[in-house]
Parts: sequence; structure tokens; C-alpha cells
Amino acid sequence: MMKLLDPILNLLMPPAPRFKGVMGIFYYVDDAADAVRALRQAGHRNLRVFSPIPHHEIEQALEQGPSIVRWVTFVGGVTGFTAGLSLCIYTCVSYPLVVGGKELTSLPPFMIISYESMILLAGLTNLLGMLALTRLPEVRQAAPYDPRFSEDRVGIWVPCDGEERTRVQKLMGGQSAEEVLVHE
Amino acid sequence: MSVTALERNPEVPDISQKQLNDDVLSMVSRPGKIWWAVFILDLLILAVALIAVRNLIFRGWGVSGFMRPVMWAVDITNFVFWVGIAHCGTLVSAVLFLFRSHFRRAVYRVAEAMTVFGVLTAAMFPAIHTGRPWFDYWLFPYPNQRGLWTNPRSPLEWDVFAVNTYLTVSSIFFLVGLIPDIAAQRDRAKNKIIKAVLHLASFGWSGANYQWKHYYGAYLFFAAMATPLVFSVHSVVSWDFAMALNPGWHSTLFAPYFVAGAIFSGVALVINLLIGIRKAYKLEHIVTMEHMEKLAKLVLMTSTMVGYSYLTEFFMAWYGPNKYERDLFWFRATGHYWWAFWIMFSCNVVFPLTLWFKPLRRNLVFLFILCLFVNVGMWFERFVIIVTTLARSFSPATWVHYKMSFTEVCLIVGSFAWFFMFFLIFIRVLPAFSIAEIKETLPVPRRRNGS
Repeated sequence: MMKLLDPILNLLMPPAPRFKGVMGIFYYVDDAADAVRALRQAGHRNLRVFSPIPHHEIEQALEQGPSIVRWVTFVGGVTGFTAGLSLCIYTCVSYPLVVGGKELTSLPPFMIISYESMILLAGLTNLLGMLALTRLPEVRQAAPYDPRFSEDRVGIWVPCDGEERTRVQKLMGGQSAEEVLVHE
Repeated sequence: MSVTALERNPEVPDISQKQLNDDVLSMVSRPGKIWWAVFILDLLILAVALIAVRNLIFRGWGVSGFMRPVMWAVDITNFVFWVGIAHCGTLVSAVLFLFRSHFRRAVYRVAEAMTVFGVLTAAMFPAIHTGRPWFDYWLFPYPNQRGLWTNPRSPLEWDVFAVNTYLTVSSIFFLVGLIPDIAAQRDRAKNKIIKAVLHLASFGWSGANYQWKHYYGAYLFFAAMATPLVFSVHSVVSWDFAMALNPGWHSTLFAPYFVAGAIFSGVALVINLLIGIRKAYKLEHIVTMEHMEKLAKLVLMTSTMVGYSYLTEFFMAWYGPNKYERDLFWFRATGHYWWAFWIMFSCNVVFPLTLWFKPLRRNLVFLFILCLFVNVGMWFERFVIIVTTLARSFSPATWVHYKMSFTEVCLIVGSFAWFFMFFLIFIRVLPAFSIAEIKETLPVPRRRNGS
């Protein structure tokens, strides 16, 4: 039965491709942050650090700036507000319900629908922006992964080949990596 | 006084990071006999309620106790009650997130799940109440050949936008929060099919540095957007009433009064759910007594806000010039529905005063029973607001005595069965506590300066 399902399962969770590089696994967070600094000093900018929770020390070692997802959300919010307000004005003008001879386009009640539309679209674009920037969904693995990364270990993946690989391997070992896995 | 050792924060579980994964994910296992017994009982109750809904739809609203002008009665009472319940989840997850209130980490997932299932329950009632639910799409503005549009100046239309936005944003917020935890669940899964499904549900999350960076960037914005949303949605729900000129409804007090009431009832239900879960799954070390006590303090605080609103309403009716308002409030406390009013007042204002005492806040049996009373009281609050005003409007010719029918009782009980059906499935399928967020409170392993 399982064999019959294998093609579908492979489609949902494709087997990992062959990677070339070094994966260092760390228990201590400060060791991992030191290793990141050392690797960056050695010219390795293309690092991928896996951890069960975000660590400020590692973020600082990587010199990560703030996420740009806020701008995507801002655009979504402005679009939502404009769309909501336009919808209210258009519907009132297109299907006029005159009450007590008052203005058709009465802004105070329109603010509520405009506001809700702003939050709705900002929420949706926030989600889409986050998915795009985090490169999710990641159906096929982009780097080797270890289940311990969702428990208590920090992993540093350095894609490299040839002599560079040996250098990275030594560097990771020198930074007290608990385990250094070489992918060839 | 000299301090010799650092005291452990009682809100932080005394376990390792790996142990946290073990404990929380142990909940997601094959269900036991008790779970099945409760689930089947729940489905049976739901089946009875569905028969009642079928009757309502095919035979019409005549089978209910509705009589003109009391046409909102139980349906809208249930709607407001469940939207209120839903609000607590966003308060705990978003508002307390922005305030960096750390005790939320252990309890917010349960509260958020309650939000999503609460809105799903609430949204059913206006949908059924239209009488012809197959035409519910008329509530939304869409181009049609007759050139008809919905009225954006109507509070009922505001509600359509508010509730749907709330459902969408709170569902996204809930699901986004689950991503790292589903990935942890995936890493433990042995069965290939379950692993593949969880891989898909976690979007292939790996916890890479760039993922955390944008994830928390986005999470902060979800919280920042959900915070004003939670206040706006229940304000809009209150304006369903406050925009009308009826005595007892037409008040600017309604928005803050409803929001406080919503948080009050929601936190009470969270306490009930958490007491059950932490006991059943032996998770007392994750949801500690400190968490429960802080939630109890929230109940006490919101109870005093609700009590203040009740008294303000009476004061304004007495002090103000509106004779109809004065008569209505006198009727509420002493008229045909006096019992509902006094259930409301005692459950929401008098009984919670016991929470001023620390031993009672930390007594879980007492807290559980008190929170049940709070929810009974909050249901009656909405009943009193809706039914007394409609049954006693301006003209004595329209005064009626509304009586609830068996069909409506089925709807009330069924709404709880519907809510608990989702909740029971949730605690068996997904991590009911946020592993990633609780882990952030645990000591991080460091070589220098220890943990």
C-alpha cells in the first residue's frame, strides 16, 4: 500500500538533492555565533544558520538588517484602504439611497469599511510578503537539514567544494562544533 | 537583605528545550478512550442541533419562539457571545505580544484556537438567522444585473466586513504561529504519510536565519494589525445596537463596554479550557499556577470594567432626560426578565469580586466554577440587552413576552458542541502550546557564563 503512495509522497516531500558543503552542528549558542563571525571573516557570506528559535547573537554575527516585509504590508494597507473607500463611494453613487436629503458620500461611516479593508489587505499581503521573503513553501530542500534543529541544536551550513571544504571543516571544528558533517 | 542566588521565574517552565518538544508533542498522539467518549457525545449533541437547524430552515422561523418585535433574541445573543469569546484569543496573542507580556507565551495558542473556532461558531448565527441561508452571498457587495449594492452606511454591513476580516486575519495569525511548531512535529513523525502532510502544512519550514528574520518581521505586523482589529470588531458589533434609537441601545458607552465584556468572557473560557488541558495532559509545569493567576487577574480587571459599565448605564438612565431609557432600565431590573438581569449582574459583577483574594485566584476548582458562572452571566448579558429592549420598545402596543423555544435551546447547546468539535480535534492534531515561543523563555545553552 505504502509503495503505491510513494509517487504522491515524493511529490509532497521530494527526497533531498545532493549537496556539496559542510554542516556544523552546535549545542552552545555563543559557539555558533563565534563560528558565524569566523566564517564571515574568512569570506563565507553564503551561510545558512538553522535554529529552533531566533537568537539575537547569531543575528548580530550575521549582520542582518530589519525585514523588508513591512513595506509590502504598507503597500497592502494603503491599497486596502483605497479599495474600501472607493467601493463605498462607488456603491452609494451607483445605487443612491437618499435618506433625509443628506449627502450620498458620507465619509464617517465609510471609514469603518475602509479601515476593515485596509487590515484585510494588509494582513493578506503581510502573509504573501513573508512567504515570498522566507522562500516558502520550500517543498524541495534547499540545504541539508537535521531534525535536531527544531529541538535544541544550531546548525551552520556552508556550501563549498574542494580545498575550501577542508578549510571550513577545520574552522568549524576549531569553533567547538559538536559535530561536523561533510557533504560531498 | 542579601540575595545569594538568582530566583527562578515561576512563569518559566523548569525543563530543557528538548524536553519541551517531548512534552508538548506528546499531546499529539493516538486519542484515548476518554477523548473518544467526549468527542462522540459532542457529535451526538451537534446532530440534535443540526436537526433543529434543518427544521428552522425548511419549516421557517415559526418553530422558534420569535415574536414581533423580538426577532433577534437567541440567534444574535449567540452571535455576540461567540464573537466576544473569540476576542480574548487576539487579546492574548496580539495585544499582550505588543506589550511584551511574557506570560502569554504559554497560553496564547489555546486562546488563538479559541478565537478561530469562536468566530466560525459566531458567523453561523447571522447566516442561519437570515432565514434563507442560500442567499447569504447577498450580504457581500458584488456586481449584479439589477445594479443593486449593499448599503455601506448600515452597521449591519460594517459587521459583514468586520467579522469576515476578523475571521481571515485571526486564521492567518493562528496558522502562521503554527508553522515552526508543525515543523517540529514533522521532524518527530514516524509515519511517512503524516510526515509528508506535516511537511506541506509547515510549508517546508527549516528554521533558517532568513526565515526567522522575515517571520518575526511579519508576526509583529500581524500583532500590530490584529490589535486595533480586535477593538474595532467588537465595537462594530456593539454599533449594530448603538446605531439604533431604541432605549437601552442608543449609547456611546456600547463600544468600550462590549470590548471589555468580550475580553472578560473570552479569558474566562480560556481558563476553563486550560484547566482541563493542563490536568488531562499533565502539563502543569508548562502552564503554571502563575499563568492561571495572571489570567484570573485579567478576569477580575475586565469584570470591574463591565460592572462599571452596568452602573454607568443605570446612572445615565436616571440622570438623563430620556424617559423611555429610564423606564427600560427599571424594567430590566424589576420587570418580566428580572431573573436574567440578576443572573447577569451576580455572575459578572458580584461573584468575580472573590478574585481579589489570592488563595481563591490560585484555587483551580474554584476558578473553574467561577469562570463557568462568568460565561453564563455573559450569555445572559447579551440576552438582557437584546430581548428586554426589543420586548419593551416605545409603544406599549408592541410590548411582548418572548419565550425561548426548544429549537433555540438546541441552537445554544449546539453552538457549544460545534465549538468543542473543532477544539477537540485541534488538541489531538496540532501542538496546543507554542513550542517556539515557550522555548524563547527557557535558558539558552551558553559555554560562556553558563546557561
